[in-house]
Amino acid sequence: MNQFNSGPSINTYNKLSHWFDFSNPGILKVYSGKIDIGQHISSTLALIASKITEIKYDQIEIIKLSTDISPNEGITASSLSVANSGSAIKAASITLKINFINYALENLEIKNEDILFENGVIKDKNSNKTISYWDFAKTDDFRKIIIPENFDENSIKKINYENNQKIELKTINDIVTGKYKYVHDINFPKMLHARIVRPPSYHCKLIKINEDFKKRLVENDITLFVKGSFVAILSQDEFLVTKFLELAKKNIFWEEKQQLSNENVFNSLEKHEKESLLVKSGGEAFYEEIPEKKSFDDPKIKSLSTIFKKSYLMHGPIGPSASCAIYKDNKFTIFSHSQSIFALKYSISKFFDIDPNLVSLKFMPGSGCYGHNGADDVAFEASVIAKEYPDRHILLKWTREDEHSWEPYGSASLNKVFGAINDYGEVIYWSNEAYSDTYLSRPSDLELTNFTSYKFLTNNFAKTKSKPKTSAHMGIHRNLDPIYNFKETRLVKNLVHDLPLRTSALRTLGAFANVTASESFLNDLASIKNIDPFDIRINHLDDERAIDVLNNLKEKMEIFKPKDDSFRGIAFSRYKNSAAYCAVGVELNVTDDLEINLNHAWITVDAGEIAYEDGIKAQVEGGFIQAASWALYEEVIFDSKEIISKDWDSYKIIGFDNIPVFTTSVIDQKGSPYLGVGEVVAGPTGAAISNALCNALGQRIKILPFTKDNITKELLN
Amino acid sequence: MNYLDCSFKINGNLKKISIIEDKTLIHVIRDELGLTGTKLGCGLEQCGSCAILIDGEKKLSCNLLAKDYQNCEITTIEGLENKDGLNNVQEAFREFNAAQCGYCTSGIIISITALFDKNKKPSSQEIQNALNGHLCRCGSHSVVLKAIDSLIEN
Repeated sequence: MNQFNSGPSINTYNKLSHWFDFSNPGILKVYSGKIDIGQHISSTLALIASKITEIKYDQIEIIKLSTDISPNEGITASSLSVANSGSAIKAASITLKINFINYALENLEIKNEDILFENGVIKDKNSNKTISYWDFAKTDDFRKIIIPENFDENSIKKINYENNQKIELKTINDIVTGKYKYVHDINFPKMLHARIVRPPSYHCKLIKINEDFKKRLVENDITLFVKGSFVAILSQDEFLVTKFLELAKKNIFWEEKQQLSNENVFNSLEKHEKESLLVKSGGEAFYEEIPEKKSFDDPKIKSLSTIFKKSYLMHGPIGPSASCAIYKDNKFTIFSHSQSIFALKYSISKFFDIDPNLVSLKFMPGSGCYGHNGADDVAFEASVIAKEYPDRHILLKWTREDEHSWEPYGSASLNKVFGAINDYGEVIYWSNEAYSDTYLSRPSDLELTNFTSYKFLTNNFAKTKSKPKTSAHMGIHRNLDPIYNFKETRLVKNLVHDLPLRTSALRTLGAFANVTASESFLNDLASIKNIDPFDIRINHLDDERAIDVLNNLKEKMEIFKPKDDSFRGIAFSRYKNSAAYCAVGVELNVTDDLEINLNHAWITVDAGEIAYEDGIKAQVEGGFIQAASWALYEEVIFDSKEIISKDWDSYKIIGFDNIPVFTTSVIDQKGSPYLGVGEVVAGPTGAAISNALCNALGQRIKILPFTKDNITKELLN
Repeated sequence: MNYLDCSFKINGNLKKISIIEDKTLIHVIRDELGLTGTKLGCGLEQCGSCAILIDGEKKLSCNLLAKDYQNCEITTIEGLENKDGLNNVQEAFREFNAAQCGYCTSGIIISITALFDKNKKPSSQEIQNALNGHLCRCGSHSVVLKAIDSLIEN
């Protein structure tokens, strides 16, 4: 058992009242700064609190995030929800329980062996006197308690709990009965429904609105909102705004300031101005001279080089982004499903140049999405409209076309990989150069231009340049640093400028491309020396937990005999080289028509101590499915005028017809820190599919997605 | 704008309302009747989240003209519960925690309810056909399929 660290949130929020509310008898309300985006965080946090406090799970409620009352735990991202909020709530729960027992022993004047502890109530066996958490919470002792930053081994040993509970998700009953309320379902008296009238592309200035059309809007009690080149229509009847939106598009005229580039994006990634940083072991990026790539003349050393390509990907939530805002008594109240609720509060207050305390953000669920989609934009836009119509709620929804065309995509990217392997099967040299646009353009009070509508509101269409982030595994260079003990590495992050599409954080940031490229290339190096894919990995690893995950995967895959005409591939990654470990195996077959059918997927994950096992399985299987969809189907298509991928026909994602059988194993490291699992599976999934496909075709396909067109092109090359 | 007086039989109740004559059924269900369990995802009949039952058949409600369905029995996710509580499909989804964000779930439950109402032991292909056109972005597919399989076993 190790010392337990309470995590970063406790540095700021170290009182029990920051995390717990005992004001309702028999109910423990728990605060968290993380939002439930479908990853079951509310159920997981309730379970953590329940396991330790021994209050029944059903009696624990997680309070929806509000900037008025919740701890600011930053963005719900980067697989840190359980790692941060879970650790904080675990620390708070341990602190509560230890102090409560001490208080009870002292106040009931009894000994430890005379207490009965059930569901938050301590009872003296002899006198039948009781005292509860709810009693304790009213005392000065409770208010004075400070949650420690660390717990020693002895404190932790006093707390016993199991990690294999089956629970009913906090959200599930309302979801299956249609009662679960999303921001889209908000309804207030006299609320105005809004839609934005978008131009064809990013750089268009409003020129003219047809006068007859304006009259028709007035006749139908529809309000036209224009500020700069930002145009919206509003009505109390939602159907009417949807009906007039199409008409509006035909009656509003734009001047295109700049076209999208129709150059092949992979050429642009190589040719355009870029900032190149050297990434060192440990994953940080530095402004240092990039060493020349080595070459090897020794015949005993075999070298190989490859370029992997990945297209633009979209978040594509099934329900388009939405937000509801009201401006009343000089204050904003905004309902949003943004993953950056607190940052949004400060960005919006900055835009209006008002005290941040005059902006209240309240989380309401949206449609599942892992990353920076349209949620922040739509909340900002709703607040802009609400400011002009005080005292009325404005419910602004993006359309399907808005979401597909205007969200910040996951960047297209290139990985130029070069490696050398010696006669002993040791990788002695590894070079990986990643080329990509930014993955980090979430809006903030310092970067208001990251709101897509900002340029339309201000009519300032000047392009802004992203700055490279240098922290370890941040953005483009996430998981660029291989976890393996390669003798020498050369890792380069290239932030490429002036690329055509808007980009930002999509689940895993650069890790999907980097791990898919690295773990595919490692197999190619291994195959030169006929080394087994498991062996090449294990031979270059020291970390026992990493090796255990790979061995577990191997064992689980060996239980199943491969189907005829099917092929297998494996891959491994530790997210950010510091979070969860994950090994993935895939069995697939390729039809004569070059369609890829996924038959079986094996996932072994070590996410530290298990907080909620079924939650971890849901996250890694869901992450596999999304990454498989990226690998097999997804690609944003555009031309010089506009985004072509405007709907689900022009942007195909995986359906129920290509879901493999899953064998998912979770290794429990009880007492170890929680390591989040939202993203770890994506990279190894891309690579395991790539490796299985390589085995099936006898040739590496180096461009994602693995569509019939791309495979055909590669085979012909 | 022309309005029509209409009556709808929805979840066993008769509702009389005046609507814009070309209002789509999903907007009547969600906006006029407040039954927000039916979700709008694309408005293009591509994602399945707006599925409802019309006379027991699964239909996508996002592009249907409401006035054409006045004499039909309309059932939404809110109308699936029976006197004993959740219907079998809802119960299986609840038991297996078969959802992530849940936005696509009501449409899927509607489709699977329509399937099992007609055939208690559907084949894998029939299940696939029922799920065809239902998109999920969170990746809840594997647990949804487990919940559906449990219905066949039971």
